[in-house]
Amino acid sequence: MTLSRAQAVKALLSHTLRTEFRKAHGWIGLALFSLASAYAAYRAVGAHPEAATWNALIWVVLMFSAFNALARPLADDVAAVRRYHMHLIDPRDYFLARMLYHGVLLSALSLIIQLAFSLFLGTEHLEGMRSAWMALGMQTTAWAMAGTITLLGALGARAGAGFGLTAVLGLPLIIPILLLSARLGDAIMSGLGAAEKAESLLFLGTFGGGAAAMGYILFPYLWRE
Amino acid sequence: MKERIALGVAGVLLLYVLGMIALVPLGPGLIALEPVSGSVSPLRYEVVGLGTHFAGQTHQARVFAGRPGEVWEWRVIEARNDARLVVEAVWPEKLKTKSLDLFVYHPTDGTLLLENALHVGHVPIDDAAAYPPLASPVPAGDNLGFHFPFQPQIFESIRNLMLHVPMWFAMFFLSGLGFFASVRQLGSARLLPADGEAHSASSVALFFGILGLLTGSIWARFTWGTWWVDDPQLNGALVTVLVYGGYHVLRASLDEPMLRARLSSVYNLFAFVILIVLLLILPRFSESLHPGKGGNPGFNTYDLDSALRWVFYPAVVGWSLLGWLLYRIHFRYHRLRQRLEMSESHPSTALNPPTGTPWR
Repeated sequence: MTLSRAQAVKALLSHTLRTEFRKAHGWIGLALFSLASAYAAYRAVGAHPEAATWNALIWVVLMFSAFNALARPLADDVAAVRRYHMHLIDPRDYFLARMLYHGVLLSALSLIIQLAFSLFLGTEHLEGMRSAWMALGMQTTAWAMAGTITLLGALGARAGAGFGLTAVLGLPLIIPILLLSARLGDAIMSGLGAAEKAESLLFLGTFGGGAAAMGYILFPYLWRE
Repeated sequence: MKERIALGVAGVLLLYVLGMIALVPLGPGLIALEPVSGSVSPLRYEVVGLGTHFAGQTHQARVFAGRPGEVWEWRVIEARNDARLVVEAVWPEKLKTKSLDLFVYHPTDGTLLLENALHVGHVPIDDAAAYPPLASPVPAGDNLGFHFPFQPQIFESIRNLMLHVPMWFAMFFLSGLGFFASVRQLGSARLLPADGEAHSASSVALFFGILGLLTGSIWARFTWGTWWVDDPQLNGALVTVLVYGGYHVLRASLDEPMLRARLSSVYNLFAFVILIVLLLILPRFSESLHPGKGGNPGFNTYDLDSALRWVFYPAVVGWSLLGWLLYRIHFRYHRLRQRLEMSESHPSTALNPPTGTPWR
């Protein structure tokens, strides 16, 4: 039986989601890490920080949470499972599924972080629509990070070097995303017009999309023996 | 043989470039316009120049205020020395703008410009204001030898243009070589010499990137007053250097040659595309202090006919050739060392290497 690309990606995504969520310590650990980071930020600067502080902290917390999530090898990153996959699956389908999984994961984490920040550090800088813009910015950032780091996470897992290597390879690429996001957050909090915000969102989307396209092209080469 | 030619050409070019950097004088320019204390009406000013020749042929010097294309003449009184010219202000009845540029013509220095030299409060503003016509046309040209152009803020540090910018050209050239070597390696299931080429090219590219950051940082200290600024171009440059550093960490963490070749090739292709995006595309869409980006003019805009090109282009070629040479030396050194290690562990294969091993 041959599957269409969409069916294959869907099956792989649901498989990855199920295997990852079965390992409860994995995702609970990630959620706790995000919450604990947000709480640490709250304890460090108090309940009502300046807009600039609020903005800087939320992106730094998102960055560390994203690293924690993306640099961790998946349950399937075992040589035996990979060899089994290599005979059955188109590597590009696998890449798409892996990226979508990371996107879903980071999207959930950024939601948790935004809620935690709103709860602990207050929402006086994000009244009304600004909160929605911020959520949109966090989600775009989460997906851009997923698009950028998925290939590097797979590369780190393939090298067998684990968390440290992926962090070293991925951190330089996260910096430009973080700079764009911080600029976006600044634009949202200082009430700039939609054009400035849309421009930052567009840059984030282009950067993440371009990196994801490169990953899609290059990933099959990681799968050869 | 190719290396010898490259060494010769790079040597000649870089000697020429370094010689020009050391010897070519900086052209004259204006620094400030200072009121002479004690003078009230008519108000006298001192024009402060750098590298100017006001003391000679002072009677032929002329001073104008206004905007480019619409100026009227002031009176030259005397030259205190080569760098200080005393002038007397002349005001029309109405002005088009409050902020005025100052132009100084001198037969040796040509026409010099001081932008926004003074701000006038006491003359009414009128769009239809007419300025007194010039008594005679201003001669064009100067009597200076070959010199580098005077730039406000930059002054003598303009010589760094021949060092800082070619570092990035050389880095691009070498990372491009590494990119194509990685493409060749990825296209093959065997270990090719291309893997070693990609490694060497990326190492030298990283070296030039670090030099580019250092020369840029020194330049920033002189012109912007700080070693580092938060700027899209600078962030992109730093990220690029970090990405190439990551390439070497990745290689160091892998022992198996074939896997190392494949994974580092994948990373190298990824890194190169990111480099293009970060250094060449994104900064163009952002505001930047750095010349050539976001509405901030590059050197070309104001120096089309300047002496800089006579040194800058040879510098780009010379530094890139030197980079290529370093890359060849690095590549051959590592090939020899591998061969030596092989011959120590497997003496029989040293002279007759099996196919698929990393040498030609």
